Amino acid sequence: MRETEASEDPPGLRGRWNPLRAAVGVALCAAGVGTLVIKAGHGEQTVQALRVGRPVFDARLDDAYYRCIDLQAHSLVSPGRPVLIEGPDFGAYVTLLKAVGSWVTFASHPSPSAVALSLNEATGRGTCHGSIVVAKETRPDGRTTTVVGSGASVAGTGPVPAPPL
Amino acid sequence: MTSGPDAVVALVVLAAGGLFPVVGLVGLRWWAVFLCPLGGAVVAAVATTCCLGIGGRTMTWFVTVSALGAAGTIAGWWWRPDHRPWRSDRPSVPGSRVTGIVAVVAVVGACAWCLRTLSTPTVGFDTRAIWLMRAGWFLQPHHQLVADMSSPGIFLTQTSYPPLVSAAAAVGWDVTGNHSMRLGVVVIALLNACALAAGALAVVECGRLATGRLWRETHSTVRRLSAETPGRVDRRSGALLFLPSAVGVVGAVALVFVTFAVTEPFMSNGYADPLWSLAAVGAVAYGLQMESGRSAFGAAGLLAVVAGMSKDEGAATAALLIGLLVVRGVVARWTGPRRLWWRPVAAGLVGLAFVAAWPVTVHLLHLRAVHAGGAPLSQYLHRARQAVDGLAPYLHVVVLAAAMAVVGCLVLTPVRRAVGMGNDGWGWAGLAAGSAVILGAYVTGTADVASWLTTTAHRVTEFTALSGWWIVALWAVTGSAGPGASAAGALAPRQGRWATMNQPASSRAASTVRPASVNHHSSSDQMYLCSTGALSRSKVSRTRLRKGLSR
Repeated sequence: MRETEASEDPPGLRGRWNPLRAAVGVALCAAGVGTLVIKAGHGEQTVQALRVGRPVFDARLDDAYYRCIDLQAHSLVSPGRPVLIEGPDFGAYVTLLKAVGSWVTFASHPSPSAVALSLNEATGRGTCHGSIVVAKETRPDGRTTTVVGSGASVAGTGPVPAPPL
Repeated sequence: MTSGPDAVVALVVLAAGGLFPVVGLVGLRWWAVFLCPLGGAVVAAVATTCCLGIGGRTMTWFVTVSALGAAGTIAGWWWRPDHRPWRSDRPSVPGSRVTGIVAVVAVVGACAWCLRTLSTPTVGFDTRAIWLMRAGWFLQPHHQLVADMSSPGIFLTQTSYPPLVSAAAAVGWDVTGNHSMRLGVVVIALLNACALAAGALAVVECGRLATGRLWRETHSTVRRLSAETPGRVDRRSGALLFLPSAVGVVGAVALVFVTFAVTEPFMSNGYADPLWSLAAVGAVAYGLQMESGRSAFGAAGLLAVVAGMSKDEGAATAALLIGLLVVRGVVARWTGPRRLWWRPVAAGLVGLAFVAAWPVTVHLLHLRAVHAGGAPLSQYLHRARQAVDGLAPYLHVVVLAAAMAVVGCLVLTPVRRAVGMGNDGWGWAGLAAGSAVILGAYVTGTADVASWLTTTAHRVTEFTALSGWWIVALWAVTGSAGPGASAAGALAPRQGRWATMNQPASSRAASTVRPASVNHHSSSDQMYLCSTGALSRSKVSRTRLRKGLSR
């Protein structure tokens, strides 16, 4: 019996809840698209804010700082030479690791043939924003030599602005 | 030295490495374009794992694994001709192809517009300290890589994180000869954009599928009523049927901008968080929220593996998502031909093997490992409260998504079923899984929660926040289908079964298989359509299905 009725009056035209569903659907669509568009506007503002002013200055300084340390380290360590990275403190250790960690050959254990790199504070010309790379190595006769990195410099002193963590 | 051309070369090489496996998994679909570089990144990660665990060099393994992937895919096509991608027997709907083209162009344009942030040469802290430092390691031979990974002079335990991001950058460095941090950052940003575009196109696809279903329903209704009761159908209402497609495109473009609002600088400074978050969101969208099928499950599986091979929290989330995908696949098959229930289980195990390969290798070689656990049980409640308080400000969208979900579930469930969207509970299960992983890390970790939150809360909530926005977008698409579904007569008392009982007995047999094109579907698609109700589960269709499967 129901089948006969249904066949005469298809569900899409008969459903009494369909107007409600259509109205709620439109409302839900409008709410969803509206909030998405508003948030998308925030996204555009975010993109714009990252392209001008302070973020650009900080990024360029950060880039120059690490490039400077990288070049100074290159002037001290030949490719393939085992390297030990020292501080003198944890901050300097991490900074040095970030600058040269991708290309140096880490010594698997302390050995006389390894070069010990450290990042020391310094003043004057030839520093990377107040830091300078120093290499210590032990000669076959047992004497220790210290060499200071060269080839690049960044004017200024003190730590560079920390990038967002 | 400009990194733009080199980044394009790197992306093309990665895409070439992932081309065959991706096309084998998802077929010739729009979103496959963006999955290819991600597939290549998975190949690079597998290559790195082989280099670490077996020997040789990463690039040698990259070529080898790419070739094996291509050979395996071609062998699969030879073995199963119905899985060949050029055998496209999907039903065509007017305007569907145009919608796809417009969507791809719009999404790519939006991504390119937002990637203007790359003009600022930002390199993130972790990018230098972990992700790109390891990219250099991965280009070294096996013995040196093992030495780097186990050297007592390197205190950063995060160097044992999953390898995908670093491996992709390493491939870029090697093929271009440009070992700059800038190139690494650009390659990672482009991979992020690929994951974002793929995830956004899932929303477009949902809109297109909804339009397709409504169009076919209207088409059949118009034909039927034209014969039986002429003049009962307002043909002008047909314009409403294309509303879901339009809303899908608008929503996808908006989601691109929303993602940049949520991720802020991390989208383009080389961090791995956006990649795992976006890949996991894409896995949820394709595998849990969209109408399932072989292509969608393939895309979901690949994106879950990308998330799992990118970061530790991504690995835990991916494992849970793969579990959900398997459960959904088994449930779908349980209502159809049950003897095929093992297929999603087997696929899930393969996905888990990919995710587990790196941590297992690191463990077996006794390399540096991150020790996450350790907080006393008595502190769990306090730490959980601290974590929830700290994370909540980033998750306001979840409230909006929940409100829309409640209204939608109460009123629009028949519409959602009629247009073929997955149950909203699956999407929320995916969101909950990722959130539980993050909360669990804060609760069981040893670090002070307050300071930990200060430096990480923004990044680790990206998955949950973006999942919330994707839920909002999909409910917008579903809502947009409401008027069209009402007009098309797609809403039947037994929703999702396409209302064969409401048709005259004389025409029921003829319309048992609803869209005419379904008759030409591959066996796996038929099986899926049966499980979701698109294909009536009458005896006649079951017999047809079994015959098709036995072939």
